[in-house]
Amino acid sequence: MSTQHLPARALELIRIFQEKLILELKVFFFTMQEFFWFSTRAFVAIPKAKRYWRDVLDQAKICGADSLPIVMVSAISIGALLAIEVGNLLEDFGAKTMLGRSTSISVIRELGPLLMGLMLSARFGSRNGAELGAMQISEQIDALRAFGTDPIAKLVTPRLVAALIMFLPLTALSDFAGLHSAAYMAEHYHRLDPGIFWNSVYPRLAPRDFVVGFLKAPVFAIIITLVSCFNGFSAKGGTAGVGRSTIKGIVVSSGLVLIANFFVSKLVLENM
Amino acid sequence: MIELRKVSLKYGDREILKNISLTIKDNAIKAILGPSGVGKSTILKLMLGLIKPNSGQIIVDGTDITSMTETSLYAIRRKMGMVFQGNALFDSMTISENLGFFLRENMKLPEKEVNRRVTEQIQFAGLEGYEEQLPESLSGGMRRRVAIGRAMIFKPHMILFDEPTAGLDPVSSKKILSLISSLRNDNNLGAVIVTHIIDDVFNVADSVAVLYKGEIIFDDSTEKLHKATHPFIRSILSDKILEL
Repeated sequence: MSTQHLPARALELIRIFQEKLILELKVFFFTMQEFFWFSTRAFVAIPKAKRYWRDVLDQAKICGADSLPIVMVSAISIGALLAIEVGNLLEDFGAKTMLGRSTSISVIRELGPLLMGLMLSARFGSRNGAELGAMQISEQIDALRAFGTDPIAKLVTPRLVAALIMFLPLTALSDFAGLHSAAYMAEHYHRLDPGIFWNSVYPRLAPRDFVVGFLKAPVFAIIITLVSCFNGFSAKGGTAGVGRSTIKGIVVSSGLVLIANFFVSKLVLENM
Repeated sequence: MIELRKVSLKYGDREILKNISLTIKDNAIKAILGPSGVGKSTILKLMLGLIKPNSGQIIVDGTDITSMTETSLYAIRRKMGMVFQGNALFDSMTISENLGFFLRENMKLPEKEVNRRVTEQIQFAGLEGYEEQLPESLSGGMRRRVAIGRAMIFKPHMILFDEPTAGLDPVSSKKILSLISSLRNDNNLGAVIVTHIIDDVFNVADSVAVLYKGEIIFDDSTEKLHKATHPFIRSILSDKILEL
């Protein structure tokens, strides 16, 4: 190949790359626009949720009661692990009495809500994506529209309302389980008196610690529900398409949960 | 009456419908015949406003639905019942719940009236004893009859059928076709049937439009189809089932 041809080939490759990039950007912005309208319609339909109160209750059971075991298991294991690791570190500095303080802040501000968000993204989000994706593929969503029912009000808003209601108590239970497992490990692994542990927890917890933690619950509820439902509604291409849209829903909502976790903490801690 | 006036539709670069015009009269059965994947089901979705055309007008009972919003389309859609190709029954609901769903959802009828209509459709479809079964436990023909009952239950002016006999055995197909004929003869309803099976057209339709490569190449009574000279129509008349 002569060297004279190289610039022409390089220019051609750049042109192809540019075209692909522009196409991808167009698809991205179109999807964002669609997602914005989808989310707006889900929120606007909230007053209609009382009409679908049975669906709200069903979804509350799915994302609340049915999700409790996995949320508790993850909270207990991370609380216990945190107590062991942080306790070992504090022991080197002779500050083991601060174990309650450090674990409670970590659990209440960050790990309790974050783990709950990730677990629910996997459990509740995947269920939404797969169920709605299957409904989309089998034309059940088109059937709702064809017979004069708003599918977003019927299928998405009850899930959103249920998640907004249930994520708060789940966060509280996740914090409770995480803290108690940390206290248990502090007593039985680090031989720390429970009185010392709890004395470093309660008097030192500030309102902002709870605001940071509990503000994340509704933010995660909105992200997980809307992203998973939107991907379910966008499913196409048969059963493989349902799989793709479900995975996309979990990956995107988990990523957004991690990003939102950072920004909510930053926002509250800088302003309170 | 439903009218499509110079309707065109594209998916990306692919031209699905090219400037097609169709008129569907009340109290008559119109068939839309064409090979698979040619855009026949798309025409039904256009009539319901489920998708929007790139150009042209769709007129339902004198109202142009082309630029109507989703919310205002609901009233138009209730004039038509749709039987989807895969039936689109709600798989988490029983047969009677499927039948009564839209009455409870949109028409706010008293529960007694809902139950009366559900029983009426169960009898019409010959599904007595299956009221509390889930759709998955029924045969293909039974599910199709439930889907027809669901489309009829709120007494629309017209019913749209997407491949009503596709995937059914000959006995079930015959039952479905006689059910469709009875809509016009006994219930005075109009119907649009999208199909790739030419025998279905001759069995139930009053008129037929043939869709080929995105264009309507024939639109007249079923009797006149035999006299059509278009090579594609001549070929389908000899082969009967379109596998192109």
